[in-house]
Amino acid sequence: MREVLFIAFSLFTIGAASGVLLSRNPVYSAFSLILSFFGLSGLYLLWGSTFMAMIQILIYTGAIVVLFVFVVMLLNLQTNRENSSNIVFLGVVSASVWLFSLIILRVLTRSIPNKILEIPENQLRTISKLLFTRYLWPFEILSFFLLVMIIAIFAITRTQEIAHGGEK
Amino acid sequence: MEWTDLIITAVKTAVIYLGMVQVVPIMLIVERRGAALMQDRPGPNRVGPFGLFQPIADVIKMMMKEVTVPRQVNKALFLLGPFLVLFPASLVIAALPFGDYFTLLGRDYLLQVANIDVGILYVLAIGSLGIYGILFGGWASNNKFSLIGAMRSSSQIISYEIPLGLAACSAVLWYGSFSLREMVYTQEGTFLGILPNWGFFYQPIGFLLFFIAAFAETNRLPFDLPETEAELVAGFHTEYGPMDFGTFFMAEYMNMATMSGLMVAMYFGGWHLPWVSDVTLLQWLGSRNLLAALQVVTVIVKISVFMLMFVWVRWTLPRFRFDQLMRLAWRNLIPIGLINLVITALIMYFRSAQ
Repeated sequence: MREVLFIAFSLFTIGAASGVLLSRNPVYSAFSLILSFFGLSGLYLLWGSTFMAMIQILIYTGAIVVLFVFVVMLLNLQTNRENSSNIVFLGVVSASVWLFSLIILRVLTRSIPNKILEIPENQLRTISKLLFTRYLWPFEILSFFLLVMIIAIFAITRTQEIAHGGEK
Repeated sequence: MEWTDLIITAVKTAVIYLGMVQVVPIMLIVERRGAALMQDRPGPNRVGPFGLFQPIADVIKMMMKEVTVPRQVNKALFLLGPFLVLFPASLVIAALPFGDYFTLLGRDYLLQVANIDVGILYVLAIGSLGIYGILFGGWASNNKFSLIGAMRSSSQIISYEIPLGLAACSAVLWYGSFSLREMVYTQEGTFLGILPNWGFFYQPIGFLLFFIAAFAETNRLPFDLPETEAELVAGFHTEYGPMDFGTFFMAEYMNMATMSGLMVAMYFGGWHLPWVSDVTLLQWLGSRNLLAALQVVTVIVKISVFMLMFVWVRWTLPRFRFDQLMRLAWRNLIPIGLINLVITALIMYFRSAQ
């Protein structure tokens, strides 16, 4: 049962993810992205991590992709292929092939754990403890980076607004 | 899991879901009669006694009308839109606790479809998906009014999810649990000897934030900017035919019921009656199943009070302007939510230090 569900969710996720790349219409791509995130959270649920599954939906599907869709619709992107030149296309393809072969190499050279990792009884408590003790510095530095980025974006957009004489 | 368990779970799911769907016709008549009451006019009172059969007439009208799909729309996403709204609205009901448990054939069954240990995250996560139906539906309609309505809806819902989440965070911190059931268990008994031990008395600011954000999340007046008829015809559902519109309508009322259910479970003691503990009630009634029935009635009454408040607010307050709406969320509600969170954390810290 578990294996069947695992394969079903994996195939669903991969199918949806390839839909993101293959569809011409950016809105369809965004829709496939939502579906693939759902597949991922299904996999998390299968591994018994309800918290991760819910966070996956809450943050990625519920917030980030909404912004993607928002921008796509606001800019009213047309479905034209002339934008992407051959060189860019080649670059993307070679980068993907290179990354994919790296992953394959990594998988082949390392021993794969044969059992499913133990999920602790109280996942939330375990995750929070790790975040605030062992991974405190990476956590804080990452959040600091995010803050810096928000301020940077704000500064860039505001200076352009001021340069164009817009005042608010 | 035995076969009986499976059957009872299926029956439980069907009963709770169909029960929640009944909110729609009831609210149809309550809203129209409520509006009439506030505007000092009779309202729909012709069909059946006191106009009680009006919802049936409304639904028959919607079903009988010709289904039209405009020619300029993106057909797949256009038809998917209403269902993408209704689907999450139906799913979130699973996490709401309606009572403790009932006994059948010597086994105990929870009065809840699924007792999820991160219940509140589940409700927030699945509840935030309803926006996609509005976004895709509005975009696929290929109409400027629909698109603007969809855009407004998405920015509004994303903005108000933050105060909603902050209020929920404070509540989670206070109860020390993500599970709605655990929260309700903690709210038994009295506070200071006089007040019921409800979350509202510990988290009044959190409740206020949650209450305001709930209106924005369900696209209700005074925050119904996505469908302002004065400026956007009907917003995201301008191009939709009879029953598609009906589906959006259903989802809106079901979302209201879920939000009310959440507020009841988080801030108003869930199935607990004030001043009486479950043990005393069990002694009076003498039967576990009678107590379960009483608990379900309690939850339904509490939810109904909130539904009436939704109607009351709708016909009392005028609509916000869009910039006012955004300013309210980002400049007022979010700072208040953060302060509330910090205060709650400090109280919890000093309480545990003692």
